Amino acid sequence: MKRLLIFGLTIVLLICSRGLYARVRPVQQSQIDAGTKNGILGVKIAVPEFQPAATDDKTAALTTLFNQVLWSDLEFSGVLTLVSRSFYPIGKFVNPGDVTVEDWTAPAVDAQFISFGSVRVDGGRFSAEARLWDLKNPQNREIKPPSALYRTEDSEQGARLAAHRFADGIVEAIGGGIKGVARTKIAFVSDRSGSKEIYVMDYDGNDVHALTLYKSITLTPAWSSDGEKIAFTTYRRGTPDIEILSRVDRRPYTFQRAGGTTTTPAWSPDGGKIAFATSRDGSDTEIYVADWNGRNPRRLTVNKAVDISPAWNPKTGNEIAFVSNRDGTPQLYIMDAEGTNVRRIIEDGGSVSNPAWSPDGQRIAFQWQKSRTSNFDIYFHDLATGKNVQLTQDAGDNERPTWSPDGRHLAFESTRRGASNIFSMLANGEGEVRQLTQTGKNTAPAWSGYIDN
Amino acid sequence: MTVSGRTKIAVLLVLVSALLASSCKKQVAAAPPPPPPPVAPTPPPPAPTITLRAQPATIDRGQAATLQWEARNAANVQIEPGLGAVTATGNRAVNPTSSVTYTARATGPGGEATDTARVTVNIPPTPPPPPPPRPPAPPVVRMDDLFRDNVLDVFFDYDKADIRPSDMSTLQKNAAFLRQNGNVRFTIEGHCDERGSAEYNLGLGDRRANAAKEFLVQQGIQASRINVISYGEEKPICREQNEDCYMKNRRAHFTYNP
Repeated sequence: MKRLLIFGLTIVLLICSRGLYARVRPVQQSQIDAGTKNGILGVKIAVPEFQPAATDDKTAALTTLFNQVLWSDLEFSGVLTLVSRSFYPIGKFVNPGDVTVEDWTAPAVDAQFISFGSVRVDGGRFSAEARLWDLKNPQNREIKPPSALYRTEDSEQGARLAAHRFADGIVEAIGGGIKGVARTKIAFVSDRSGSKEIYVMDYDGNDVHALTLYKSITLTPAWSSDGEKIAFTTYRRGTPDIEILSRVDRRPYTFQRAGGTTTTPAWSPDGGKIAFATSRDGSDTEIYVADWNGRNPRRLTVNKAVDISPAWNPKTGNEIAFVSNRDGTPQLYIMDAEGTNVRRIIEDGGSVSNPAWSPDGQRIAFQWQKSRTSNFDIYFHDLATGKNVQLTQDAGDNERPTWSPDGRHLAFESTRRGASNIFSMLANGEGEVRQLTQTGKNTAPAWSGYIDN
Repeated sequence: MTVSGRTKIAVLLVLVSALLASSCKKQVAAAPPPPPPPVAPTPPPPAPTITLRAQPATIDRGQAATLQWEARNAANVQIEPGLGAVTATGNRAVNPTSSVTYTARATGPGGEATDTARVTVNIPPTPPPPPPPRPPAPPVVRMDDLFRDNVLDVFFDYDKADIRPSDMSTLQKNAAFLRQNGNVRFTIEGHCDERGSAEYNLGLGDRRANAAKEFLVQQGIQASRINVISYGEEKPICREQNEDCYMKNRRAHFTYNP
């Protein structure tokens, strides 16, 4: 009954958002259709280069960076098709008077939207005067937001942030109302310093910072849904246990210790609880749920087997997927958040690990080794149809999928180019696979929720 | 007074006469004849002489001293030790490493003469002698060594945490040692090969360590003596990607807790 209700609500929401969209902009909506591999029906946008307002080197360099980041963000959004610059009319497009609509809607370019503007760097400020035009809507040509003056500090970080903000605004405006993920972050484990530590980077691999420097073994980062806190496993006090740090200022938060192997924390979608695995009460790891400070732990599984890697349904918070070898090999199960109604999801055998529930609650990504001699690959299980869709193949081991908050992307670790590194891709498995890390062995990516900055 | 005066003069005269007479007798006795000159014999060959000196007489080790000698009436001069036959007069630098007495011997027709000179060599304080070799290990055997030699790893099949029948005797021997050493506390580490997810392997390693613990407890080892930790695939002892290596990594390893 409850599921029916949720299903109904989802349908209503979908219809509403489609209706709203259709009224404002009668263009084809891009929808991620990850299951059927129909490809992205991207809205076509022209993105001529922003022009520097001055000729100094710094302005030129930051303008170039802004243009690169904006292009990259839009291209990777999964929503848009960027028209190649080689088809653009010749000229510089800074002010509304520079843009002749017919030049951009002509068959050669055939764009439905155009973004353009200029970059100014002075007084310690980076500012981009940015416009997004709907070329097919003469009544409401300029779309606000995202058309605005984007002001940040005059650094590479500032130029990146301004581009990310504008890109997120464009994606939200013409991508069906789902926010872009250009300002999200990815936590991961790297041994680049000699020991496994937690690091945090931008979603595109830039601006990498170490979160921990414990010189121990530190694993399994997990974000609170507000993007403020990261829970993880560390051996720094002996047996592996869960700790929590603020992403912003690295402030520690207490998570009550209880001994045993305690690992794989996962935040509930409301941020109030953490599901995790621990062997504190017995001879194997079981799934527990506790308040996010570790108090009031409640055991959900009772089984003489490994039970590990819980993942909440982020849409409802009512279900938890997890891995168990109760049937012999590690397999994927779902239970209600109270520990009842346990059911196995993948029936085909092999070795299944690391479930990650999509933000809309409809799919569970996981890693699957179908036979002992095959590699791990990323799949997702569509809960409505029961189908398993393979997203990677013939490219080393591909493990630990993690969803972007828009549900359009997955990050994962892969040995496709040698040592383990973090990659990201569109959640339908198509398009470019981006390598986000290069240094050391990098594993266990965890994609943050939306972060406002 | 007149009479006595005459007497005195007479006595005085007698005394003077007597004195004079005695002096005359003496003069005669002091005039003997001179002795005859000696007859000159054939002169014998002169006896050799030699002097030997060391300058300086005291040196530090490594420095030199000069021996100087002068012999007369010698046909042959020898200085020992070390110099052998030398000229009658000369000097020579010597560099003895320890104190020594040089003897110079001069021989000639007139006989032989010797002289000695000592050179004292100061030996500088030697660097402190190397510490005496460590005393041989005390016969007491250290418990961690004993533990390492007697409590052996057990191994697991792929993706399994069951004690293999072939490993039960190892665990029984481990238990026997641990029963005999009832104060020993220890940790069982559970390890996995790199296949499977790192998270699942944390759980699997935990199961393996606990399987070994349960076996020991059944053998009478108190559970309170045993600490358990899973390292999953984080601490392989072998890093190649082949079954030989994987096999070595799938283990329960025992460490002594001092």
